[in-house]
Amino acid sequence: MRKEVPLVITFVVAIIVMLSAITTGPIPGTSIAISDLFRQHISPWMTIVSAFAVGLASVNLLRVHTRAIARKRNDWIYSVILIVTLAIYAGFRTYVELNLSNATAAANYALIFNNILTPLSAAMWALLAFYVASASYRAFRARSAEATVLLISAIVVMLGAAPVGALIWSRFPDVQRWLLEVPNMTGQRGILIGAAIGGFVTSLRVLLGMERGHLGSAD
Amino acid sequence: MKLVAGNIFGFWMFLVVAIFTLVLINYSKSGKINITLRKIAGLEAIEESIGRATEMGKPIHFSPGLGDIIGATAAETFAALEVLSYVTRMSAKYNAELVVTIRQPNVFPLAQESVKQQYMAAGKSDMFKEDTVRFLSNQQVAYTTGVVGFMHREKVAANIMAGLYMGEALLLAEAGAQIGAIQVAITASMTQLPFFVAACDYTIIGEELFAAGAYLSQDRIKLGGIAAQDYIKLAVMATAVAGALLMSSGSNFLNRLLVK
Repeated sequence: MRKEVPLVITFVVAIIVMLSAITTGPIPGTSIAISDLFRQHISPWMTIVSAFAVGLASVNLLRVHTRAIARKRNDWIYSVILIVTLAIYAGFRTYVELNLSNATAAANYALIFNNILTPLSAAMWALLAFYVASASYRAFRARSAEATVLLISAIVVMLGAAPVGALIWSRFPDVQRWLLEVPNMTGQRGILIGAAIGGFVTSLRVLLGMERGHLGSAD
Repeated sequence: MKLVAGNIFGFWMFLVVAIFTLVLINYSKSGKINITLRKIAGLEAIEESIGRATEMGKPIHFSPGLGDIIGATAAETFAALEVLSYVTRMSAKYNAELVVTIRQPNVFPLAQESVKQQYMAAGKSDMFKEDTVRFLSNQQVAYTTGVVGFMHREKVAANIMAGLYMGEALLLAEAGAQIGAIQVAITASMTQLPFFVAACDYTIIGEELFAAGAYLSQDRIKLGGIAAQDYIKLAVMATAVAGALLMSSGSNFLNRLLVK
């Protein structure tokens, strides 16, 4: 029963969600449309279940970090910072929600987000510039025929995109465009079609309860 | 109740393809057809990387990606959880510590239950600890920072990433490369594939993600699904060729049929 009940719920809900997207009009013998069934009954449950999942995940986060502090693990001070930040942010948000008319509180709440999280995120993304260079260096080392083709293609595409490329040879932009639009696009579409079919068959197996890895079963 | 215009052909094709898939799955299950999959080096490397982690006494890191179990990315996440089941079984077999980091709260209970059940099935319940499956953050950058920090601190021996990835793919893969971990990336995310190819030891692409569960378990039901995938792909290729020929000869019959 522990596995059958979730599988039945998955099947029924998946059929309702699928039909709600592609059908119109009431279900035969009733006055309710499937899209209304989805909107009124399934959608709120999705929100409720997701809220519980956030609760479960937050408890895990707190337990992992309180244990790290209790056992004085390496860099446990970061766990302290995380828990304190979590508490302040949760408290502040609750205050803002309970005092919606207080514009100053809402502005200060946004201030934390805009002045701490946003710059930290930008700093993290900025690392990508350096990582692209180091990853390219490894990928472009001509150790095999395939890597050599990759290296030559990359050089041509870079020269085609950079203004200096056209000065060296006026056809570089045309060759770059052909590389991107013909061999590259062909490969990409092949992978995409294969992945879409794979996704469809996997979804079907989940829908019919044949895929049970997520329930902790290998069979 | 009627089908909305634009979905009629898709709906009937869904039924035809679903019935065809189920028939092949039943044939495979009953042993009427034998399906063998070609060797996928990246999937073979998972066991090797876990063995290496045991020898080094370092943990294995697994990420089921950034996708949720709701919406268009669900199939990728479910496929990633299949890989997680296998990784957990191998971790139990080799007594290697496994740490699973999670971004989506909805994925957390599924991953936790899956890992717990696999350890129990292997008779190694004691290997499951409270911090084996860790929720880091549902913010993309915060999750990435958490994983990168964890990999550097713990010096993981193997980094296995399966599922949907976005802009953080290279940040995660480069962090693994910097600490010398064996890295296996399994994804259908087209835009991130070049980064994984450049930074990981093994990259499993596109539909191979969805075949991974069948390949690793050799389960007849899943193998039947893979065979169906191949036949559907052949049908799609034939349709593409027929469409090109028809359009070239001035007929848009197939085009009109597909958009019905």
